[in-house]
Amino acid sequence: MSYTVVLEEFLPALLLLGGALLVFLADVVRVRRLEVFGGIAVAAIVGTLGSVLADLGTPYLEAFRTIPASVVDAPIAPGDLFAFTSLGLIFQGIFLLAALLVALASLSRPSHERGAAVFYGLLLLATLGMMFVAVAADLIFLLLALEITAISSYLLVGYTRRDPRPLEASMKFYIIGALSAALSFFGASLIYGAYGSTSLLVVGHTYPAGADGPLALAGFAFLLVGLGFEVTLVPFHMWAVDVYDGAPHDVSAFLAGGTKKAGLFAFFLVFLTPVVIGAGAQLSGSLELLLAILAVATMTVGNVAALMQDQMKRLLAYSSISQAGYMLLGVAIGTAPAIEGATFQIFAHVVLKAGAFLVVGAVAAMGVGPFVRDYRGLGHRRPVLSVAFALMLLGLAGIPLTIGFFSKFVLFSAAVEAGGLFVWLAVAGVLNSALSVFYYARILRVMYMEPAEGTDPATGTDGPLLPLGGLGYGRASAIALCAVVIVLFGIDPAPLLTAFQSGASHFLALGV
Amino acid sequence: MVMIGILSFALITLVAGTLATFVAGRYARYVALGVSLLFLFEVVYMLQAFSWPLFGANGAPQYAFYETAPWVSLSWLKINYAVGVDGVSLPFVLLTAILQIATVVYTFEEKKNPAAWFGLLLLTCLGSFGVFVSLDILQFFLFWEAVLIPMFFMIGYWGGVRRRYAALKFFIYTHVASVVMLVSLFALAFYSHAPSFDFVDLYAPARSLATVTQVFIFLGLFFGFGVKFPIVPFHTWLPDAHVEAPTGGSVLLAGLLLKLGGYGLIRWGLELQPQGLEHLSPLLYAIAFASIIWGAFLSLSQRDLKRLVAYSSINHMGIVLLAIAVYSNLGILAAVLLMFAHGIVSALLFMVAGSVHHTFGSRDIVTVNGITPKTPVLSTMTMVGALASLGLPALISFPAEFTAFLATWDRIGYWVLVPLIMLVVTAGFYLWMMQRMLFGPMRGVPEDAHDLPPYEAIAMGLLVALIVLYGILPSLLTNIIIQSPTAYGLP
Repeated sequence: MSYTVVLEEFLPALLLLGGALLVFLADVVRVRRLEVFGGIAVAAIVGTLGSVLADLGTPYLEAFRTIPASVVDAPIAPGDLFAFTSLGLIFQGIFLLAALLVALASLSRPSHERGAAVFYGLLLLATLGMMFVAVAADLIFLLLALEITAISSYLLVGYTRRDPRPLEASMKFYIIGALSAALSFFGASLIYGAYGSTSLLVVGHTYPAGADGPLALAGFAFLLVGLGFEVTLVPFHMWAVDVYDGAPHDVSAFLAGGTKKAGLFAFFLVFLTPVVIGAGAQLSGSLELLLAILAVATMTVGNVAALMQDQMKRLLAYSSISQAGYMLLGVAIGTAPAIEGATFQIFAHVVLKAGAFLVVGAVAAMGVGPFVRDYRGLGHRRPVLSVAFALMLLGLAGIPLTIGFFSKFVLFSAAVEAGGLFVWLAVAGVLNSALSVFYYARILRVMYMEPAEGTDPATGTDGPLLPLGGLGYGRASAIALCAVVIVLFGIDPAPLLTAFQSGASHFLALGV
Repeated sequence: MVMIGILSFALITLVAGTLATFVAGRYARYVALGVSLLFLFEVVYMLQAFSWPLFGANGAPQYAFYETAPWVSLSWLKINYAVGVDGVSLPFVLLTAILQIATVVYTFEEKKNPAAWFGLLLLTCLGSFGVFVSLDILQFFLFWEAVLIPMFFMIGYWGGVRRRYAALKFFIYTHVASVVMLVSLFALAFYSHAPSFDFVDLYAPARSLATVTQVFIFLGLFFGFGVKFPIVPFHTWLPDAHVEAPTGGSVLLAGLLLKLGGYGLIRWGLELQPQGLEHLSPLLYAIAFASIIWGAFLSLSQRDLKRLVAYSSINHMGIVLLAIAVYSNLGILAAVLLMFAHGIVSALLFMVAGSVHHTFGSRDIVTVNGITPKTPVLSTMTMVGALASLGLPALISFPAEFTAFLATWDRIGYWVLVPLIMLVVTAGFYLWMMQRMLFGPMRGVPEDAHDLPPYEAIAMGLLVALIVLYGILPSLLTNIIIQSPTAYGLP
């Protein structure tokens, strides 16, 4: 394969790299305006997103294709480092959506903020890493791509440099991340020892024979732990809450909505794909059961802990852990409908959770405190923003006519459809989402039914409006985008589902 | 131009009307009234044009005004948009239209955030209407949940002193129930391997499921729908929600939301899993008797008028459950008739309780006595409501309860004495309430107490007229109810 072909196929990703370099360059030549960096970043992300959508075969965008249709979902050779699958392209779109939301929202930050260039540059680099994750066909390539994302995001968490809390979160994230990377690479080395290759395809096709080997099993166990840290799988989830809580709001949105999803796709690739499993398309017994147990534990622990939180960001962080449990259900079940459901759940979670963190950021910029009780009366003090936040919470709770309902619906019905033991996974999932309604409803109650301080008890409703300064056009448009997506695909999920279905079935057909 | 049927048109009316009401600001009440009138007009048209087209060629049931279109279509999952009515659902549609307009009129002078109030009110009615006409599992569930959310806000924002507690309790109880219901409906769909989630497609495969499967699925459905009923022992949300809810909320809660449970149990439980119902009938009888007895005795001990009406709902819905459990043609007729009657009568009684509260500042039966000389109209309404609720002949509840007891006697003989004896208790607490509150020596009545404001009087008058009309001519309803596949093949 010649370099020009590779260059052409990676053109979208390289656009991100170019954008990042441009941002750093602008910083060097002493451009000190956040809008410039933000504009470059948004342009790079939108351009990349357009090209990814074109590659997925979106109508009207054919002219922007960079990957020929014949390459997408083409058979993989054992030596390939990367492969373009339609599911991978869908995930690229999801990652870019998360990056776009954060980049847009951050435009509303003060124009002369220190470290703005670092923020946008790192955001683009982290997204670049995620783009590579989505096309990986080799274990080492995959882990290196994850590292690009991880190192950028450690720095993103602490980019403000002066505040002690983000710095502490950044250090914690870094230490845990280093441990997780070490474990993953060690697992990869064991797998290389067992199979003589790190190609996911080779590993996949010899998996049934090599499965009994203790070396391979140890390798997968290390990978499970290493990647488990990335996706906040219980019991490797402890770091996440402190990091999400300590990070700047926009970065929390990116971590929950973006980088974690890259970890999830890595999970897909390592534990689920035909590339790993060969023709079987199902994980063999013990791993499947282990994953199912861990997935149920993850959602339960996340939900129960979220019930007890007083701080908004910690609550959302725990809810994010529980959501990871739902998504991992898809890996544990491993059928095409389940992958479809998990992908939908991941997509939904990007707009729901990233959107929620962005709202928290906006509300904090208006001078509201970090506790849930500080949101009293928000429904009357900022009605439109509150409606958007309420939509996100209802979506996270899985209430119908939001995107969150359909994503859970498809996922759980896929579990029921798979039959057998998986029906119980659906039951566990449904009970968990019933449990989660309590804490989301509590926030709604606080927002709409408890008067804010300074409200006249006689007239009851109208507290003073909050200043709009914290919102700004960037943040407002990002939040509005989330709200539109939540409602639109909550009413008619068919276009998304059709795309996800074809992606999932191609994905499973790859290794056959 | 796409031709759409009357049901879709009515749905669109309500959706557009709800949205318009939310943004109509201070004109919200006029928009709401207009939408309610238009909807009532559409329902009257349906009543006129209704005739049940019987079963189709392949044994699948057919529905009047039936419309269907694919909504989500995947290789392993097919969800349709499907609406249609039969004799079992049409009375509930009528009930929705009546209560919607009555509630809008009754609360016409709502001062606290009227746009949101009327919007949520219409949204509740929209959800109920959707539940009654939906013939697809997922669509049914969407509307089912759509009722929950506005009611949560109506209680939590316009309610009484402990409204926040009551709203959350209501939400948690009914949400857990609806989750269980959804899982059971899923199981129903997936185990019967129907080609889609459409009721018509599900009908034959679901009815031929193995008995054990049917029993488990019916149990899940019974729990899911039963909490809305509410059945003892899952009834504790009801008094809290009713007492704390604003009057309009109580009216819709008792008049419509409780009926969702009964309708759902008939449509999705009895009709699709008949063997499950037959095998579980001892449990259903036990719970029905428990609800009847418990509801009656709890009512007897209440001194808050609203709480009394709330507990009497548990008693009445127990009789509905009994009528469903006997599983006969007559039983289904009785159940639907009872729910219709209870919907109108309890709506009237909750309006009475609300007006008593506005007028006298208290609903306490013990301290507010002898109101008739001061407020003769309110007093008359109270009396009609109470007499209707205790089953006086020529008022709407009498034919309903009579049919229910007849059906019970047919199937389980002397057990009918349990609800009959409890009827005496019911009569007891209503007579006792009337004796003290309406006719005793005047006490606790402020000097400046006025009789009913015109809007409240109009709303209650409408309900009273219907109570008398359907009491004298129950055949107006029964002729419709029997046109349904529900009771097909039953004794």
